[in-house]
This record gives sequence, C-alpha cells and structure tokens, in this order.
Amino acid sequence: MIVLILPALILIGFIFGYPILRYIWISFHTSSVANGLIPQFNHGINWSRLINDARFWQDVLQTSRFAFVSVSLELVLAIAIALFLNQPFKGKGIIRAVSILPWALPTTIMALGWRWIFNSPYGPIDRIYNNLTGESLNLLSNPKITWIATVIADTWKTTPFIALIILAGLQTIPKDLYEAFELEGGTQFKALYKITLPMIIPYILISVVFRLAQAFGVFDLIQVMTSGGPAGSTESLGLYAYLNAMRFLDFGYSSTIMLGSFVLLIMGCLTVYCIFKMTKISIQK
Amino acid sequence: MKNSTRKIFISIILFWSLSPLIWQIYTSFSTPASLTEPIGTTLNRWTLDNYIQVLSANPSIFRYITNSTLLGVYTTLTTLLLAVPASYALIKLRKELRSLTRSILLLTALFPYVLLFLALLELAKSYNLANNLFLLSLPYSALSMPLAILILSSSLNDIPIELEEAAKMEGLNLLQRLRVVLLPLMKPALSSTSILVFIFSWNEYPIALTWLSKTEQLTLPVAIARLAGSSVYSVPYGAYAAATVIGAIPLLMVTLVFQKQIVNGLTQGALKG
Repeated sequence: MIVLILPALILIGFIFGYPILRYIWISFHTSSVANGLIPQFNHGINWSRLINDARFWQDVLQTSRFAFVSVSLELVLAIAIALFLNQPFKGKGIIRAVSILPWALPTTIMALGWRWIFNSPYGPIDRIYNNLTGESLNLLSNPKITWIATVIADTWKTTPFIALIILAGLQTIPKDLYEAFELEGGTQFKALYKITLPMIIPYILISVVFRLAQAFGVFDLIQVMTSGGPAGSTESLGLYAYLNAMRFLDFGYSSTIMLGSFVLLIMGCLTVYCIFKMTKISIQK
Repeated sequence: MKNSTRKIFISIILFWSLSPLIWQIYTSFSTPASLTEPIGTTLNRWTLDNYIQVLSANPSIFRYITNSTLLGVYTTLTTLLLAVPASYALIKLRKELRSLTRSILLLTALFPYVLLFLALLELAKSYNLANNLFLLSLPYSALSMPLAILILSSSLNDIPIELEEAAKMEGLNLLQRLRVVLLPLMKPALSSTSILVFIFSWNEYPIALTWLSKTEQLTLPVAIARLAGSSVYSVPYGAYAAATVIGAIPLLMVTLVFQKQIVNGLTQGALKG
C-alpha cells in the first residue's frame, strides 16, 4: 500500500519541503548579485535587517489589512448569497454558473480589466463619480484609497468560492430542525441565528482560514493592478519578496522575507482559529 | 422570499458577476477616440481594429492559449496518475496513519504557494529546467495533489467495500479492479478533480512568471500580465481589452460546460477536508 502513496507524497514533500529548508539555510547567508549569488554565511544579518526593515512591517500591515478586510467582506456577502441560493427557485443552475465565473477566470486577466474600470479619468467608476461630484476619484493613484480598489477586485473574484462552500454546509442541515423550531414558536430570524449559523460554523471556519492564507499570499492581483503602488501603498509581502529576488537580485533577503511572512501567517491563522473555537463553544452553550 | 425581492437579488448577483466582463467586451469593440468618452456618445463608436491588432501580433495570442492548454493537460494527467493510487492507498491505511496523512495534505493545501517560487526558480536555473512546459507541470501537480487526493479518496470511501472484495474473489488483480470496478464508479470525482486541476494550472501565475522567460513558451496569464506591464499609462486600452476577452473565452466555456463538476469538486474538497 505504501508504495502506491509514496510517489505522490514524495512529490508533495519535495515541492513544499525543499523550498522551506532552502529558505532557512539561505536566509543565514548573503546571496545576492553583489557576490555573484554564491551564498556566504553572514551571522543572521538578513534577520536583523528584516526586523528593522520599515518597508517589511509596512507591507505586513498592508497585507494583513488587505486579507482581513477582503475576507470579512467576502464572508458576509458569501453567507447572503449562499442563503439565497439555498432556496428552491427556477434558473438556479444558471445563477450558480454565472456566479462562479469570477472565480474561474485567470486573475491576471481580470486584474487588467479592473485596472481599466478604475482608471481615471477614463474608467466608468471615475466618470460616474465625476458626474456626481465634479471631482476625480483617482482610485488607482491616491495612496490613501488604492487598497480599497484591490479589495473590491479580490472580493469580486473570491466571494463565489466561499459562497459555494457555505452553500454546501447549508445543504447538510436537516429540514426538520427548522420545523421543530417553528413548532416551538421560534421566528425565522431567530432560526437563522440559533440553527443556521451554528450549523455552518465549521464551513465558515475552513473557508476563512483557507482564504486568509491565500489572501496573505496575494501576488497576481496586486502586481497587475497596481504594481504595489502608488507610493508602495498596496505592496504585499509576496510582491516585496518577489522584487527582492527578481529586481534587486538579493536571494538571501528575499528568502528571509518569505520565511518571516510565513511565520507571521501561521501565528495569524492560529489566532483566528482559536477565536473561532472559542466563539463556537459560546454559541453552543 | 417574495418573488419581486428574489428578482432584485438575482439581478444584483448577475450584475455584480458580469459587469466587469461586459465592460471589457464593450471596451474591446470601442475606437480609441470613444474610449476617452466611455459614457457619452461620439461618432465611430464601434471597431474591430483592437481584435485585428491582437490577432496579428507575433506570437499570436493562440500560442499562449495553446501553451496554457498543454500545461493544463500535462498537469491534470500527472496529478491523476499519482493521486488515484495514492487515494486508494490512503483509505486502506491504518486509522492513525490515515488521519495524519490527511492533516498533512490539508496543511499543504492551505499553504500560500506563492512563497515557493524562488526555490523553484533556483532549481530551474541550476538544472536547466526552465522554459519547459512539461517540467513546469511537476510543481503544478504537487500543488494540486492535496486537493485531488482528498476529493478522490472521499469518493473511494463511498464505494461499498463488498464490490471490490467480490472482484478480488473473481481473481482480479489491483490494476484490473481499479479499471473494471473502482474507476468507473469514481467517474464524477475524477471529472471534478480534473476540471479543478486544469483551472488551477491554467490560471497559475507566480511560478509560471519566474519559470518561463522565452516569449514563445509563455502561458496566457503571464503573457497578459506582460502586456499590462509594457505600457502602464497608455490610453489606447482597446487592444488590451480585446486580448483579455479572447483570453477569457476558453475558461468561460469550460466553466459554463462543467459548472456542475466544479461545484461538486469544490464542495467535496471542503466537506471531506
């Protein structure tokens, strides 16, 4: 039996394991274009540089803000859509097919599309805003608000994914639970709060943890939509690591950024997981 | 819910999902002059020039679509080849070992794989593996393997064990049992897995971006992103829009045709994981 599963596990172990080990090793070395990419041990200079790197911490905050706001927004919308799709009505298949389109299309293609939609002064959003207020919105060139544009594009793309998972959760709830609740005089709104939400908590939990991890690694969307700008205000950790490797050709520091991000991500996911576990218990009581 | 509220809700969902696509299509048929006045009316609003420009580019966009499709096929086949035996083995493992393997698979599925690109790039550079679509399908297969194994093993789990045992009594070996008994029953899970893996590899960007550098080997997402990087502030956006529309068509078709399999695959992956 083991022989059958080994090839798959070896491939997975190599593709995920080797990079992490390699990053750990190389993060303690100087490996940049300055020394011809020949790693030299450097007594943890990369790590002290990381801790003192204002740009890294700014990116941590920006990436967390992006991940947290997008995933919260996606979750609320997804629950609404899933509750809606869970009802019987005609043409549900078409609605479902259309609503998964944003998820299925390549991110880079739609990121380019969103860049044009948010363009000022030629995009439709800016036009409408301009007609209403007489000013330009500058959604992609004002460092204070550009991150909101990236959140909108991400929400558009991944809400369907969460909605589908929550819909699957809704379909596991037995109908007689609601009937019993109604017999005891509960209202529909109360049923949502007392039955539906507690029953779908596991599905919410798994999609939130999965999405937080993915959103924390956001790369395609940012690179194509804003290239991290304006003024670095939308730069994500993935993009910063990428720039260090590909533009500044500093593999040592790029690896350090990735490991640092990974550690922070694990801590973040554990926190979210614990919060959910605690609220789950309190709801059940 | 009342019928009228439902209609409003449906319209909102349709508008939200489709309007960015419709705007791209609209833009792709617009003349440069009319693009600067997107809402007002100008003369000569409609044109096919953007499409002519995209289709006459060298290499043509169909080259990238072909590359992405090839990569998707390689990845799907490699993934299934390894994931089918692995999921069979997984459900036969001892209980503790099984749940340990499943937790590891689940963790790798959560991993933000963008963090892997640098080490893979180093490997590709030092062993001369870059610019080869088939070799690129190996990391892709590894990335899709956890979800594939989870979906396939959960469908294997649903097959009554007596069926396989009967086949064993008939003297069929493992390969024959898979072919005659198990694989036909796993068809829905196999098609869901294939379609999800295909979509993943078609859309993957960060690793393709670093792995492929020769223009004629680029996949569609990388080619489109290059287009975006080439002239950030240029106004004649029509050609970009035409490229995104042509680029979106293959997956648009795939999604509409296979929506049932996609939905089943995603929910299976979440439920059993």
